[in-house]
Amino acid sequence: MASEDARYRLSSQYRLWSFSRAELASLREKSNSLARASISERLSRASSSSDKNNNDRSASTSNANTPDPDGASFRLPEFLTVADESLMTTFYTTQLLGAGSATGLSDEICATAAAFFRRFYITNSIMTYSPQDMMIVALFFACKAEGWFTRVTDFLKMGSFQSLKKQPEDILAGEFLFCQGIRFAFDVRHPFRPLIGAGMELRRLGDIKEERIRAAEERAKSILRFSSLATDAYFHYTPSQIMLAALSLADRELAERLIHETFHHITPPADNGTPANGGDGAPKDSRQPKGENKEAIIGQEIRDKVLGAIEACREIMAHEMPERSKEHWQSIDMYQDLILPIKKKLKKCRDPDRSNLVALQRARRETALKKGDSEDGDPEDRGGTVDDDAAVFGEATRDAKRRKVAKGLDDPFGGPL
Amino acid sequence: MPVLTSDDMCLVCKTIRYLNKDMEFLINPECYHSMCSNCVNRLFNDGPNQCPYAGCHKTLRRKGFRSAFFGDLTVEREVDIRRRVAAVFNRVEDDFETLRDYNNYLQMVEDLTFDLVSGTDAGRRDAEATLQQWEASHKAEIERNRKAGRDADEMTRRRVNAERDAARQRRVDALREAEDEKVERARSREAELDSLAQGAAPGGGDGQRVQLKRRGQINRATAAAAAAALEPSAVSAGAGPVSSGALASASFSSASGALAEVGRLSIRGLKEKRKPAAAEGPYDPFGGMDFVPSRYRVRGGLDHPWLDKYRLDRSYATGGYSFDEYTRRAMFEAFAGLGVFVDDEKEVGIGLSAREVATIGAGIAAVGDRMELD
Repeated sequence: MASEDARYRLSSQYRLWSFSRAELASLREKSNSLARASISERLSRASSSSDKNNNDRSASTSNANTPDPDGASFRLPEFLTVADESLMTTFYTTQLLGAGSATGLSDEICATAAAFFRRFYITNSIMTYSPQDMMIVALFFACKAEGWFTRVTDFLKMGSFQSLKKQPEDILAGEFLFCQGIRFAFDVRHPFRPLIGAGMELRRLGDIKEERIRAAEERAKSILRFSSLATDAYFHYTPSQIMLAALSLADRELAERLIHETFHHITPPADNGTPANGGDGAPKDSRQPKGENKEAIIGQEIRDKVLGAIEACREIMAHEMPERSKEHWQSIDMYQDLILPIKKKLKKCRDPDRSNLVALQRARRETALKKGDSEDGDPEDRGGTVDDDAAVFGEATRDAKRRKVAKGLDDPFGGPL
Repeated sequence: MPVLTSDDMCLVCKTIRYLNKDMEFLINPECYHSMCSNCVNRLFNDGPNQCPYAGCHKTLRRKGFRSAFFGDLTVEREVDIRRRVAAVFNRVEDDFETLRDYNNYLQMVEDLTFDLVSGTDAGRRDAEATLQQWEASHKAEIERNRKAGRDADEMTRRRVNAERDAARQRRVDALREAEDEKVERARSREAELDSLAQGAAPGGGDGQRVQLKRRGQINRATAAAAAAALEPSAVSAGAGPVSSGALASASFSSASGALAEVGRLSIRGLKEKRKPAAAEGPYDPFGGMDFVPSRYRVRGGLDHPWLDKYRLDRSYATGGYSFDEYTRRAMFEAFAGLGVFVDDEKEVGIGLSAREVATIGAGIAAVGDRMELD
C-alpha cells in the first residue's frame, strides 16, 4: 500500500465521513425516517394536548360527543422526502457558498463550511434543524476550524451577514449541536492544495505551455470552489481524486498526462514497449519505490482504477458546473418552481421542539441545572438521536459540578457540628 | 501363651519378639509386606528377589526397605501415595486466578489420589498412568515449583531462626538492663546516704529536694531506657507470633508467585504468564508509518506562480515559514489517497474492489455447484 494512501486513511475525513453511495443513501434515508417518526410523535402530542383543551372547552359549551383525543381530528402533515431534503441541502450549500464568497471569506473557509454543512445534514434532517440557522453556524465554525478566529459580533457585521439579522446567541446556541452533528471531525481535506501540487508537477515536466497550465488551474479552481462542494464528491472521493477530476473537467489531457506520469510503472514482461511519454527526461527508476510492490502502487492496473474513479467523480461534478451557481441556483424561476413548494411543506412539518435553537439551548441548560440540583433526578425522556449527546459530552455533569462547588462555597467551614 | 500378632512375629521366618528383642520390621513400598530385618538381609542380600509372601510376585530390592512410620500399613501406604502425588501436583493457590479454580484443581488431585489409594484395579492403573504421564510431560514445571517451595521453606526457616535469635538477644538485654538498674539503684542509695551524712542541718530541705530530683531523674531515665529497650522487642514480640506466619506465607506466595507463570494445558484458571517485555527497539511516535513518498518525488525548485509571493517575500520566512515545507505538503496532498477507492473500501474493505468480491463469490458459488453436482 502506498504510504500516501495509508496516511490518508488515518484522516477523519476517510474514517468518519467517507461513504459508498449505498451507505450514503441509506444514511439519508435513515435520518429522514427518524425525523419523520420523532416529528410526527411530537406533533401529535402537541395537537392532542391542544385538542384536549379545545375539547374541554367545546364540551362545556356544546356538550358534543367528543372523539378520542388523538383521533381523526389531527392529521400528520406531508413530510419532506429524501430527494426534497437533498435538494434543499444543495440549495442552501450554494447559498452558503455565495454568502461566504460575497463576504470575502477565503476559499478554504467557504469550502470547509460547505463540507460541514453537508455532513451535518447527512445525519440530521432539514425538518429537524432549520438550514438557514445552520448555514450561518457552519460558516462561523468553519472560520474557527480553518484557524481564522473572529468574534461572533464582528463576524455578524461582516459583509452580507448583516442582512441575515442574526444575533450572536443564534450562532452560539447552534454551535455545540453543530459540532456534534459533524462528529467533532474538524479537519476537512480540501483539493485546493493538491491542485497547487499538481501544478508544480505539471510545470516540472517542462513541455507544457505555461498559459495552458495556468488556464487549466484557474478553471479547475473555480470548479473546486463550487462543483465539488455542491455535490457529494467529498463523500465518495479523496481530495486528490477530486482535484484530478476538476483538472480533467478543465483540461482533460493535462489530467491524464499527470496520471500517466504518476502511474508509470510497466510490468517487466511488457517492458520492451516504448515509455509512456517521451518527453519525460528524468530517469525513471529514481522515482520508483523500493519495494517489489511497485505494480500495486504505480502499476497499470491501479492506474486504470484511478482513471475510472476520476471519471466517475468527474461525472458527479459535471452536474454542478460553476456556471450553475448563478444560472440555476440563483434564478428566480428555479426558486419558485423547486424551492418554494418544499419550503411550504417544510413550514408544516418542521420539528416543533427544535425550531428555535436558542430556546432549545436554554431549556437544555435548565434541565442540566435541575439535574445538578437533584443529583440523580430521572433523565429527561429524549428521542435518542445525535442531539442527545449534550449529557454525554459533559455539559450536564460540568454544570452539576459547578453547582456543587457553589453550594459548598456558601459555608466555607462546612455545616453546623 | 499370648496371641502373636504381626507386630511380634515375623511372618516370613516365624521368629518372635520374645527370642529377639531387637527385632525390627521393615516394609517395602512395592507391596507393603512387613518382614524382619534378618529376613530382609537374608533374602535380598544377593540382589533383587521375589517377595516371600505367598501370592505376591513383586520383585523387591533391599534398597527399598525401610521401617514403617505408622503401625497401620494401609495408612503408611496412603501417606506414601499422597506424598508422591503431592510432589507431582505441587501447585499453590497463588498460581490460580480464582479460588474456584484452585478448588477444582484440588478436587482433581484428590480424585486421582483416591483412585490410587483405594480404587479398583483398573482405576488404579489409569490413575497411575495419568500420574506418570503428567510427571513426564511437566517435569520442568514440577521441578520449578518444588524449588520454589523449597526456597520458601528455607526462607521461612531462616526467618524463624532470626526471630528466635532476636528473642534471645532481647532476653539477654533485658537481664543486663535489670542488672544495671540494680547497680544504679544501689549507687544512688549510697549517694543519698552520703549527702545526708554531709549536709545535715541547713540545707536539709535542699538536699532532700536534690535527692528527690535526682531520684525522679533516675526514674525517668530508667523508664526511658526500659521503654527504648522494650520498643523493638514489644513491637516484634507483639507482632511476632502472629505475623511470622503471615510473613512466611507472604514470602512463600511471592516466591511462588514469581514462578506462578507456568501454563498448564489441562489445569484451568492458572494465572496468565507474565512475559518479560520484549525488546521493541526505539519508540516510534508514528507507529511504523512510512513517510517516504511512493508515487512522487519532492524535488528542489518546485514552483508555482500562485505562491511566488510567499517564496520571494522574505517577511514570510522570518516567522519560520518554510516554502519547501509547503511544497512538500502540496505534493503529498496531490497524491495522497489517489489509490483510495471509497466506494469499494467502505463496502467490502481495503484492498478489494466490489467487483472482485462479487467474482470471488461467484467463483465460490460455481465451485459449490460443481461439488454438488459431483
